[in-house]
Amino acid sequence: MVHYDSQGFAMSTLQETRPSERVIVPEVQEGFWTRFQRRESSLAWLFLAPGLLILILFIAYPFGYGIYISMTDAFVGFAERNFIWLENYRRLLDDPIFQKTVRNTFVYGVGTVPFKLALGLGLALVLNQKFRFSRLYRAFLLLPWIVPTAISSLAFLMLFNGVMSPISWVLEDWGVIGGSINFLGDPINAIISLCVANIWRGVPFFGISILAGLQAVPDDLNEAAALDGANAWQRFMAVPGPVIRNTPLIATLFSIIWPFADFQLVYVLTKGGPANSTHIFGTYSYQTLGYTDIGTAAAISLYMFPILSVLAVILLRYVRRD
Amino acid sequence: MTEDRSATLISEAKAMRYSRRTVMKRASAMGLSAAALGSVLSATGHAVSAAPNRAPALLQGGSLNMLISTAFVPAAQDFFQEQATTWGEDNSVDVTVDFINWPDLQPRTTSAVQAGAGPDIVELWDTIPYLFSENLVPLPDLAAQAAEVQGGFYDWVVNTAAIDGEWRSIPHGTSSAAIAYRKSYFEQAGVENPEENFPATWEELFEVGRVLKEEVGKPLGQALGQSLGDPPGFCYPYMWSYGSMEVEEDGTTVAFDTDLFREGLEMFVQAWPEAFDETGLGWDDSTNNSAYLSDQISATQNGSSIYLAALDEEGENYNPELAEDTFHAPLPSGPEGQFASLGSRSMGILDYSPNQDEAMAFLEWWFSAEPFQAWLEVFEGYIIPPGPAFIELPVFVEDPKLAPYTDVVNFGRNKGYAGPANLRAAQASSQYVVVNTFAEAVQSGDVGAAIEQGAQMLERIYNR
Repeated sequence: MVHYDSQGFAMSTLQETRPSERVIVPEVQEGFWTRFQRRESSLAWLFLAPGLLILILFIAYPFGYGIYISMTDAFVGFAERNFIWLENYRRLLDDPIFQKTVRNTFVYGVGTVPFKLALGLGLALVLNQKFRFSRLYRAFLLLPWIVPTAISSLAFLMLFNGVMSPISWVLEDWGVIGGSINFLGDPINAIISLCVANIWRGVPFFGISILAGLQAVPDDLNEAAALDGANAWQRFMAVPGPVIRNTPLIATLFSIIWPFADFQLVYVLTKGGPANSTHIFGTYSYQTLGYTDIGTAAAISLYMFPILSVLAVILLRYVRRD
Repeated sequence: MTEDRSATLISEAKAMRYSRRTVMKRASAMGLSAAALGSVLSATGHAVSAAPNRAPALLQGGSLNMLISTAFVPAAQDFFQEQATTWGEDNSVDVTVDFINWPDLQPRTTSAVQAGAGPDIVELWDTIPYLFSENLVPLPDLAAQAAEVQGGFYDWVVNTAAIDGEWRSIPHGTSSAAIAYRKSYFEQAGVENPEENFPATWEELFEVGRVLKEEVGKPLGQALGQSLGDPPGFCYPYMWSYGSMEVEEDGTTVAFDTDLFREGLEMFVQAWPEAFDETGLGWDDSTNNSAYLSDQISATQNGSSIYLAALDEEGENYNPELAEDTFHAPLPSGPEGQFASLGSRSMGILDYSPNQDEAMAFLEWWFSAEPFQAWLEVFEGYIIPPGPAFIELPVFVEDPKLAPYTDVVNFGRNKGYAGPANLRAAQASSQYVVVNTFAEAVQSGDVGAAIEQGAQMLERIYNR
């Protein structure tokens, strides 16, 4: 039983109170709804419920089911399946195409970052200046980012056509080359072509991210640094440099993570060829699923999980710090 | 007529002690109806399966969606769409057709089967019915009717579209392969009267190809990318003509890595930079058409679509001079003979479909003589029919330039040969194992390693 003083404050013990001063508040039986409302945690769960439900239905369940399927010898359309533990994962380690797939994903993701970063930084610095139609140019910067990848990939497919490439035509016309460039028919050229398209598509993200950081720096700081006699490089390193320091890092992490889930660009341009030499996780998994081997296809996709988890943890740490 | 064929099959089955499956397979090939098959089965002491007797379906207000591969003869795709729409209007069924690129057809079907939702009718390429054998509605009656219309099905059709003799999709033939070439360029390369003296062997073709590339400036063109049509259309026959096979007749013993094939592939790899357009490694089924039609190459292995496109007055590639200069030759032979990869496409109904009545009604109509013939004629000879009934149509015999495409039926083999065109063959084909062996050998120059890698992959597939 809880006792209250005249001001309504709870008293520690009955013995400390004189009987004449005691105010006894009759115990009120609280209803479920009142208790529910009073408890913050209940309300929190209520608000969380829709999100959690969506997470469970559309992310946790498929993820769990994917793990289960990857440990079976299941084929789409065939009811019979056996649980084979990590056999699919083990077999993939011996699969030369999968080995190429892992290598390609890193080349495609990590190898393109320096170019995206350099070009994005350059573009951001230029577009941070005030000049005529600068806002229009900033909007143009976003074009490669907002054009659907499938469409831009088709444009690159035409540019990289082995027989009728405008790039080859121009270079031939200038006398630089003697015949068509084998853009997508040679494994190294094909990877380079994919990286070029990936860089083109990724530069705006770097550019806009860095530009946003640059624009947060007040002009008068730059002016003060200039008055102090700092040259352009010193001004950049001392004023916007520290402010935007983490922006390229975060953009880089995103840029490494996205290729793991990429599909369209590689599928449209090479379908993983020639001779399976340009597959990334998404396209190889799709090709494997194509002949209904859903167990192996799931295992290919799930190989990304530990790598992505590490990257995601690093990314989250930097995002929080920012 | 039917009685005669039934009697022939009964005596054949008794003499050869055919199994029930073989009887069914032969009956399909001979075009016997379900009723006739029933009498043959009972006369030979086999159980007769209870064929479902479907009541006429009430189609009013129903719907039907079909997933069909795009056609390299655009008019034929439009015509099929028109046929479907007209049939839908006549039967008050809302019909939609999705045409998708060849390489996407199978993955889309796989997704639909996994999801248990999607198209009602799917087009299946050779060997693919095996992949979905548990998900396709059995169609014995429809197959028997279609076989009657087609005058029976060719063996290459039965071998690739039927699943162990059972029909779960109805075959409608396929495009075939030959070498489309520019007569004038071959003459410039020293081949007198190419129509009569076209190189008979691969080796001879590569020799002429060297002259074509070096002196005429118009190399041979061959697609070696990951695509369903032309790359396998070249690689499988070449492999067979050099004595290599995916597996032995038992369907499990891999017979890919042979000395003769190593020699043959070595010859091809050496010829590649000297006789071929080297960008072919990245070509798909359409790139060689573009290369030929834009006068970049002198010859390429293809269906008749290049020639038909050049003849099409309304098409963007209309080029009467090029059409006049274009001729076709059968695929050359190797030391082990002359071959072509031949398997029938077919139409199947997925078992999750709530519109099976509509689907069956459509297929029953479409595979009847009149609409099927009309569709075949719009293709102008590009698609060869699954049986002999239509092979004498003017579209196949009037233009002698197209004769090599129908001759292919005489030396066609199924994927997976010498084994059956089964699930494993379908998997090997979907993984492009044979095609990628060629591409890998050309890229690396290491024929032995490419063949060994191909053999290992086949081993994994066929002995899993």
